[in-house]
Amino acid sequence: MSVHVPNGAAILTDTTKCVGCRECVVACKKRNDLEPDVPRRWSLDDGLSARNWTSIVEKELPNGDPAFIRKQCRHCAEPACVSVCPVGAMQKDPETGAVVYDGDLCIGCRYCMMACPYGVPRYDWDQQVPYIRKCILCNDFLKEGKTPACTDACPYDATIFGTREEMLAEAHRRLEENPDQYIQHVWGEHEIGGTSVLYISNTDLSFLSYGSKLGDQSLPATTKTAMGAVPPVFAGMAGTMTGVYWIIKRRMKNQKDSDSTTSNPGDDNNG
Amino acid sequence: MDKTRMDRARVLKNILWGITGLAFAVAITRFTFGLGATTNLTDGVPWGFWIGFDVMSGVALAAGGFVLTAVVYIFQIKEFYPIVRPAVLTAFLGYVAVVLGLLFDLGLPWNIWHMIIYWNPHSPLFEVGWCVMLYLSVLTLEFLPVPLEDQPRWSKIHDTLTKFRIPLVIAGISLSTLHQSSLGTLFTIMPYRIHPLWYSPILPILFFLSAIALGLFMITFEGHTTTWIYRRHSHRDMLAKLNRATPWVVLTYIVVRIGDLTIRGQIHHAFTTDWHAIAFWIEIGFLLIPAVLTMVKRVRRSDGLLWLVSFLGLMGVVVNRINTGGVMHTGRGIGAYLPSWTEFAISFGVVAVAGLIFLWLVEHFNILESKPIDEENYPEVKPKFDNLSRTWLGLPSFANRARFSLSFVIMAGVGFLLLSGESVRSSGVEPEIALPARGGDTLWVDGNRDRFGVSFHHAAHVVRADSLYNGCATCHHLNLPGDKNTECSSCHRDMYSATDAFGHDWHANSNGAKLSCSECHPQGEVRQAETAAECVTCHKDLIPAAVGERTLLFDYPVKGYLAPSYADAMHGVCLECHYLVAEEKQDVRFQQCSFCHSEHPSFVNVGPEEYPTSGKVIVPLDLGETGQ
Repeated sequence: MSVHVPNGAAILTDTTKCVGCRECVVACKKRNDLEPDVPRRWSLDDGLSARNWTSIVEKELPNGDPAFIRKQCRHCAEPACVSVCPVGAMQKDPETGAVVYDGDLCIGCRYCMMACPYGVPRYDWDQQVPYIRKCILCNDFLKEGKTPACTDACPYDATIFGTREEMLAEAHRRLEENPDQYIQHVWGEHEIGGTSVLYISNTDLSFLSYGSKLGDQSLPATTKTAMGAVPPVFAGMAGTMTGVYWIIKRRMKNQKDSDSTTSNPGDDNNG
Repeated sequence: MDKTRMDRARVLKNILWGITGLAFAVAITRFTFGLGATTNLTDGVPWGFWIGFDVMSGVALAAGGFVLTAVVYIFQIKEFYPIVRPAVLTAFLGYVAVVLGLLFDLGLPWNIWHMIIYWNPHSPLFEVGWCVMLYLSVLTLEFLPVPLEDQPRWSKIHDTLTKFRIPLVIAGISLSTLHQSSLGTLFTIMPYRIHPLWYSPILPILFFLSAIALGLFMITFEGHTTTWIYRRHSHRDMLAKLNRATPWVVLTYIVVRIGDLTIRGQIHHAFTTDWHAIAFWIEIGFLLIPAVLTMVKRVRRSDGLLWLVSFLGLMGVVVNRINTGGVMHTGRGIGAYLPSWTEFAISFGVVAVAGLIFLWLVEHFNILESKPIDEENYPEVKPKFDNLSRTWLGLPSFANRARFSLSFVIMAGVGFLLLSGESVRSSGVEPEIALPARGGDTLWVDGNRDRFGVSFHHAAHVVRADSLYNGCATCHHLNLPGDKNTECSSCHRDMYSATDAFGHDWHANSNGAKLSCSECHPQGEVRQAETAAECVTCHKDLIPAAVGERTLLFDYPVKGYLAPSYADAMHGVCLECHYLVAEEKQDVRFQQCSFCHSEHPSFVNVGPEEYPTSGKVIVPLDLGETGQ
């Protein structure tokens, strides 16, 4: 099973309570000092961008009413972005469990954007000095004992903050209390090893990832075998090549000794 | 050299310099305006052609180096020795191209050295980065003896490097194995992103196998190309023999790939009609055709056919890398991606630079068995005038430089010309024509959201607002600071308050009713409201006859000059009859609020046919004009 940060910060979003007022979006932009944004050529239709770290997406319920679902970084227990960053610019804070980004280390390869199964990290495509931008769970504020701006701002408690254990318990309590009102699933409890941002809803939220339903296996595990094979492959290849070279050389030498009248064309020095 | 025939090398170099010039213009733009202005990448497709072509394919094209050094130095099949130097040089330049391409693709290329000191050994890209650095160093050391060999000053270094050749070759092969395969590892973390026909947990193995195949194709392609450019003696026999291995390597790759798809139960994706399946078969076809053709001895021994076949094979693997690297990524929100011309320009520019370095090195060092052009012994030729300008450009070597500079400058100019304008400056803001809003002609205005409201005839208001007031801005403030909704009462000022409905001045004005004072104010009386004539004296039908002398709701007198408020007036108009009918029929329902304001959220929906009485009842809102 995956390893979660004990008492790590977590957010539970109950989409049945969200009325789509976008106070969280505004609060996030204010606290993180994000500039205004307009849809650009490179924007996706989910509202997230380098300047919008959280957004509300609408989905139609079977009865025609809209469901409002808040998108943000999921702060995975075993984040793919952290695992793939070649310079460690993406890090999971060992205290809070927030996935944070250090622009000073970043080389701009955008592998994190490719690897994230939720497609969360966004890029400053219009900047000469571009950085990866995404929700950092207001990590600096968490460390001061404060709470994230988005959960503070929510007027209907549709998105609430606490430790992951508390939030999971609360999610299951709500699912049990009103079983008819929810789909009996906590998104983020097990998918890809679990995330710190959890959702309960009356509609299927699998669409928050790239289309297909996510499995429980954490993504860094998919590269583990291949990465673990690196030292043995290197040593094995070097060993095999040395061995082959030595055997063939020896065989040629034996042949030369037995047939000393012919010269070996391989021993000339043209190169 | 035969001077009367076309100088193929010169024409090729001219083209390459031109491409470099175009890429130069794009490069400047890329670093001035950022990635957004010069690529078609999006937040959904963050890796595109530069990664797929320059990096992934560049590395794969370099596979010829490690394949041939293994054949010649480890397996000691010395007959291939004449083609090992160009192969090592190609590998070296392939890696130079990778690094050059990366410098454009990385957002912060000046931080590329961070990989040396900030480590994240879990990252496949970290491994790729280190392999590039190490293998580039190994290739440099492998290649360095060539330019040093005829220089007595450097003979010591040359001899030392030659002594360490076998360890270097072994290090190179091992690094290449890791590197080719770790490019596949890069993508194993994206099982939900890459189309199932391209995703596989054994991508590293597939990439390694296809890299070996590509190595053979590349050696063949490059061998026959240089032969053709410099009109040299062909290594036909050697390349034909080398290509006896090609079909088996390629077929192994195809079998492993399709076998892997079959075992994991994903092969059914290949038998659909969507374009992913078609692209898959095109890719396989690009490899299968060369594999089958190289089995034929006649093809192997024909320079032209083998060149074509190896080119097809190259395309097969390159397309595979580009597909895996960004094109065959599926999923919600990722969107379509087609590289922009600027991306092609940079990619081909990088290849052109590598090609120019290749040609320069081939002409100045013993890469091939002998130098193709002997510059010191240029044949004595008469001054030859340039065809276009009718000027003498100088000695052949100098004249060529002039021509190449011209190509470069012209193409750079073309590049800047194409890049000027809105496409770059607007930096991705999509221009969109603003259209007037098209709401319904009648809107249901429910200000306090209690499901009771009024139907607002927007179309009629638009006509009035346009002719009388400030158009849309009368009500819509177009998002000025401090904006708020315009209430109905800001125009209909009598909606909620009792109002003096009597316009005294209008009645007295000669442009109005043109009445003399005495027509309302009796002679001799003090002229005040209390003593004036009542409105009904003149306006005989001001008040419905049925109302009579009754006092209306809320004790507003019908007599007098104070008009009831809008809401009360509406109630007054309707309720009078409702009360009468309720009395008459002895049915209290007719005077209950819910009779009109039903739970159904619309007062409007009370249609005339639902009214119990005849023509006395006034339909509260006219639905006839709304087109319903």
